[in-house]
Amino acid sequence: MIKSVQNNARALVVGALMLAGTVLSSAQAEEISYNHASMLAGSCFNCHGTDGRYGEDSIPSIAGQPAGVLLAQLIAFKRDETPNTTVMNRIAKGYTEAELEALANYFASIRD
Amino acid sequence: MKHFITNRRETLKLLGATGAVAALGSWGVPAWSNGGPGHVVVVGGGFGGATAAKYLKRYNPALQVTLVEPVERFYTCPFTNLYLGGLREFESVGHDYRELKDRYGVNVLHTTAQDIDAAAHTVTLGDGSTLRYDRLVLSPGIEIRWDALEGYGEDAAEKAPHAWKAGEQTLLLKRQLEAMDDGGVFILSAPANPFRCPPGPYERVSMVAHYLKTHKPRSKVLLLDSKDGFSKQGLFMDGWAEVYGDMIEWVSLSDDGRVVRVDADRLEVETEFGERHQAGVLNVVPPQKAGWIADRAGVTDESGWVPIKPATFESTQVSDIYVVGDATVAAPMPKSGFVANAQAKVAAMAIVSSLAEREMPPASWANTCYSIIAPGYGISVAGVYSVQDGAIAEVEGSGGISPRDADPDFRRREAEHAVGWYNAICQDTWGTRPA
Repeated sequence: MIKSVQNNARALVVGALMLAGTVLSSAQAEEISYNHASMLAGSCFNCHGTDGRYGEDSIPSIAGQPAGVLLAQLIAFKRDETPNTTVMNRIAKGYTEAELEALANYFASIRD
Repeated sequence: MKHFITNRRETLKLLGATGAVAALGSWGVPAWSNGGPGHVVVVGGGFGGATAAKYLKRYNPALQVTLVEPVERFYTCPFTNLYLGGLREFESVGHDYRELKDRYGVNVLHTTAQDIDAAAHTVTLGDGSTLRYDRLVLSPGIEIRWDALEGYGEDAAEKAPHAWKAGEQTLLLKRQLEAMDDGGVFILSAPANPFRCPPGPYERVSMVAHYLKTHKPRSKVLLLDSKDGFSKQGLFMDGWAEVYGDMIEWVSLSDDGRVVRVDADRLEVETEFGERHQAGVLNVVPPQKAGWIADRAGVTDESGWVPIKPATFESTQVSDIYVVGDATVAAPMPKSGFVANAQAKVAAMAIVSSLAEREMPPASWANTCYSIIAPGYGISVAGVYSVQDGAIAEVEGSGGISPRDADPDFRRREAEHAVGWYNAICQDTWGTRPA
């Protein structure tokens, strides 16, 4: 099972690399690997659940939200531009904008 | 089944957006799928150990992971204070290992780890059998230093509970509170740093005060401290004055707060300069050290705690043994359940990377500790941490405590977030959800 997944992954990677040439046109100040993004995201899971899927009234699920929306929210937290924030401003300030973008992309990529 | 690898298709969109080249190794596939088979044994099934087992399997499902944890139902220390305050049932802080077994394929052994032979890479179990490991994760929690405070041995804890490990001790303290006369004095003795859960003693007296204010309003709470300052001090003291008036009295080290002798039979303590205090209920939070199996593994130093390499949480003293949670020396990160979980994810990534002989990404951790002063009155401290100049450091400008001047709505929302946090981290750690 793992092998076939890896083969699929290889095929997908080739596709992704071909795509990447066009998608990466907006130059990143800092390149963040998927492993790095998943490690950063691990800290978010502690309040938002594994892969950001856990949600209840007080803390929203963030899985599968559009990356642009998540990034805009994270940047607004970092800049103290969100009224009535309790803790997310204090946390978002611990990350660079490139890291926040990687986090937004990570959670946007979660499905189901 | 929804593991890391099943997200690959989505992952690749992400790679496209954030730098595909950086993510791909020389084999052209992401690092976590390259790990050869290996056996990782995890000792301890609390926030650190259960998280480590789960994330080892998430980062590389091909790994064989064995979790050694004596109990089938684990009770968290976080939120036991809310039980003492009457805000929730004790069973609500209990969690099981079904998700680790059934969803992640972790081999969960409900037995004790008796010994560790680092040279042979083996763990001896309660039945005398041994497990061989390629990498070992220890999440041993704390051990009480029974020899550190005069008069406070294991027998004394049956009369003057510490309740600093969730279980019988917590239930005993609750029974004692319920049996205490109205007008009695609840005394808590708080230790010097470092110890498990820095804001814990202060949330504990808050919740005890809530219980007493509701049921035994003539009672007092006396907090005898071996320190001159504590976590979220200003916020706690504001809240105590606002909610409980003069019910809670805090006595600092400089004001002769340090307890040097305990008489558990008489429920009496003596402080440094000879003053004696009589309690109705005596709660001694004693000095602590790393859980005893850490000693057997040879990873503790003269402090009784475990020094680790910051970027990986591998022991500085014994190779192939990774240690996470309260047992470690990881300041400025606090000894909290949140941090144990965060450290476990970093250690899991380090192990998966090391078995695959790949470089691991830079470590990152966060912490948020909520404390409940009263129902609808929560406060917090947060921090984001990274390795800077070879040491763990808080990212500049991040974190900090709730504002001193926040309005009641802010405090109410933080109390709600505390519950949301607890439910989410337990889902992340054990896969359990509130009943």
